[in-house]
Amino acid sequence: MILNFELSDDLRKQICLSEREEIYYSLPIDIDGQSRYTRDSFLVVSNTKIYVIMQGALERTLAIADCSEAKSHAHVGQGLLTVVHKGTLTVIARYTHGHMGRYAYVARGINILASGRTEHVESNEYEASCPKCGRAIPGTAKCPYCNGENRFASTLKKVAKPYIPQFIGIAVLMVLASVTTLVNPAIQRYLVDNVLLEKEPSKPLAFMCLGGMFLMSAGIVFVNVAKSFYSTKLGARISMDMRNSLFEKLQKAPLSFINDRRPGELLNRVVQDTRVIREFMENSFCNLFTVAFIFVCDVIFMLYINPKLALLSFIPAPFVVMLTVAFRKSIHRRFHLQWHKNDDASSNLQDVLSGMRVVKSYGNEKHEAARFLKYSNEYCRVQTRNECFWAIFNPMLSFLMGAGVFVVTCFGGRDVLLGDMTKGQLVQFMTYTSLLYQYLNWMTQLPRQLTALISSLERIDDILAFDRIPDRENGTVKTIKGQVDFKKATFGYRSYKPVLEGIDLHVTPGEKIGIVGPSGAGKSTLINLLMGLYEADDGLLLVDGTDIRSLDRKSFHSQLGVVLQETFLFSGTILENIRFARPDATYEEVIAAARTANAHDFICRTPGGYDTYVGEKGYNLSGGERQRIAIARAVLANPSLLILDEATASLDTESEYLVQSALSKLTKGKTTFAIAHRLSTLKDCDRLIVIDGHRISEMGSHEELIAAKGLYYELLTAQLQMQKRQEG
Amino acid sequence: MEQKTLTYFESSGGFLGARAGEEEYTRVRAVRLFPFSDPDKYISIRVGSETGEELTVIGDMADLDPEQRKFIERDLELNYFIPVINKVISIKDEYGHAYFHVMTDKGEVKFTINMSGTNVTKLSETRLLITDINENRFEIRDVRALTPPEQRKLDLFL
Repeated sequence: MILNFELSDDLRKQICLSEREEIYYSLPIDIDGQSRYTRDSFLVVSNTKIYVIMQGALERTLAIADCSEAKSHAHVGQGLLTVVHKGTLTVIARYTHGHMGRYAYVARGINILASGRTEHVESNEYEASCPKCGRAIPGTAKCPYCNGENRFASTLKKVAKPYIPQFIGIAVLMVLASVTTLVNPAIQRYLVDNVLLEKEPSKPLAFMCLGGMFLMSAGIVFVNVAKSFYSTKLGARISMDMRNSLFEKLQKAPLSFINDRRPGELLNRVVQDTRVIREFMENSFCNLFTVAFIFVCDVIFMLYINPKLALLSFIPAPFVVMLTVAFRKSIHRRFHLQWHKNDDASSNLQDVLSGMRVVKSYGNEKHEAARFLKYSNEYCRVQTRNECFWAIFNPMLSFLMGAGVFVVTCFGGRDVLLGDMTKGQLVQFMTYTSLLYQYLNWMTQLPRQLTALISSLERIDDILAFDRIPDRENGTVKTIKGQVDFKKATFGYRSYKPVLEGIDLHVTPGEKIGIVGPSGAGKSTLINLLMGLYEADDGLLLVDGTDIRSLDRKSFHSQLGVVLQETFLFSGTILENIRFARPDATYEEVIAAARTANAHDFICRTPGGYDTYVGEKGYNLSGGERQRIAIARAVLANPSLLILDEATASLDTESEYLVQSALSKLTKGKTTFAIAHRLSTLKDCDRLIVIDGHRISEMGSHEELIAAKGLYYELLTAQLQMQKRQEG
Repeated sequence: MEQKTLTYFESSGGFLGARAGEEEYTRVRAVRLFPFSDPDKYISIRVGSETGEELTVIGDMADLDPEQRKFIERDLELNYFIPVINKVISIKDEYGHAYFHVMTDKGEVKFTINMSGTNVTKLSETRLLITDINENRFEIRDVRALTPPEQRKLDLFL
């Protein structure tokens, strides 16, 4: 995201920078004080001052030293940047949503400058529209339309490289296909001129010509089949390669890369964008060179046979192309509308069907039926109109496509009558003309397909080119004792919106820490940092005195045990699921782990024992059973650092008891971080920390926190009261 | 509904403030309860910038005295920015996005919407709410008030 827009020289002159002043950020302001759109207005932040330029004139200058608490507020349709200036909250800029993200970053930048530091804030977020061409960018770092051409070629080269022999093979087939297509009319001409029109047609020669034509026609079929077969195969191979490299990249990329994108988007890139490439290979690529080759040869042959006639037959071509394009555009619009209406009707149906209980219980059937009828009628109307349009204009278009042939028949016929051209040549010429128009039609579809391909390639390349992958493969391998230190750790999923700020915490090996706080306060975020899923934006996180970033990923994670609220079991057997942490564990070890986790008994009761298939389509385990498998997993890993995130939150009382007792066996002597809403489950903890307002607000033992009568005390009394009410 | 009698004023930073007897709130926010169907009725007045506790609901802005009303209108302006489109200059659709160039009551503007999904919501038969790729909102009060060529341009979304 751009945080420093280019200022024109005129605007630059407005702000007289002093000697040691440098512009840090400059953002457009696009709403003025009268709530109207405005131009040439900017917010400029230097290291010491904030300048507000409205419509080309400097309106306000604030010294950053007088400012604090800069904040970007998201309101409906607009954002406000406010600062506390000399103790008074004041609005300094208004902007539309397109700049909201930028202002949030700059607000953070101003706060950093106000606190006396000088670092720049940078944004890794992508632009929504291309600053150069103004088009919407399909969720990628670079605009595919602006850099498309070059990158397209380079990406294509990268993709095609391992398959050069296959490409050459297909190219040969393409040339063969064009040759057979082009030779056939020549044989026809020979048949007409030199055989049929002779006074005494020679039968053997006629049969030879027929044989030749048959061979060519049959040959074309074979060549086309082979060509399609190999193109399809190659397309499937290339798209498979891309899917694999995408998947590999996604696994390596940090979680933030995945979380930054809308759900489904990455799935689409792996599944749909690779499909676009395959389809292009199948439908367009295999004909691309054939068509180009035939087209060029076709034109040359026509010019060679009869230049005048050739030029005449080209005359309708531009009109036909224009009309086809216009027709297709109109068809596209019409059918898009139809699709829209269909969508309306079906989503209304979906709505009513899934809410049937509500509809029936309120007796609203008639009303809903009327609504559906309306959508349905609307769809019917559009559909009828479109089909009529299609029925009327499609034949007209076909007629136009044949226009070239009419011209040729008319003027060519005259030439034949005048003796300037043989009859056979006319036949050949007419075939070439129809070929020309046929391929012309095909070629007009190409730009659209190419754009879809470029867009897909860009989206794929965007992931493949992502290079900010933390390299922890070569980190330190060491046995962890379990000492954890947070030092002024700050983190936010969006870097402008901190979830945790300045966390300081020292945990000795073997200590049990309970984490408490309201929802959304950052408890799980703290744990995510500890698990190494995210890296702190600021400050340090040390494990046994070593920066977590310099630890070897694999070795660190193998010493980490995790039990989350919802345990995810992979499709596979119970055995495989327990062994997930240590695939080489023996049966004895697995059974011992399951016993410790209070899981052995219920596993024995399942029909397949440890071989019972669980997961998405497998045997249904209860929540408590899943948790105990997760605990068995953790026991097997024998970690020195344990993380329990609401491990017993969604369980009934009996399962909770079983899980709780399994957990207490597991956590013995290990550094443990446990999050819980139900505070009673944290009574064994050595120390409790309360997270509130992005910070650790209270820390101490259960008794100490009760004595302090802070948030913990409030939460505890609230829960006790609720319990009493439930019991009473 | 518990109602407090409030007097409004402009606080030193240009925000809306309110006084209820002895109590003084230097920053309150006005929130429309029916921003589309009845923007000038049912305005909730809430404490703080993050829409905290509700102080009162103004049933109808017309019942306030003009000066008081001005203060609230000023705050609403800071909270809502939904330009009303009154002239469509051009709409170009290209590969899944539509590029609008329109004239609104807040001035001329260009914006882009995603063609897939529900970015054009029908508030009623003739009233449209358009959300662009940046989540800016635009309103068309009455489609039928536009000229026929303009309506045809909008056809894709109706």
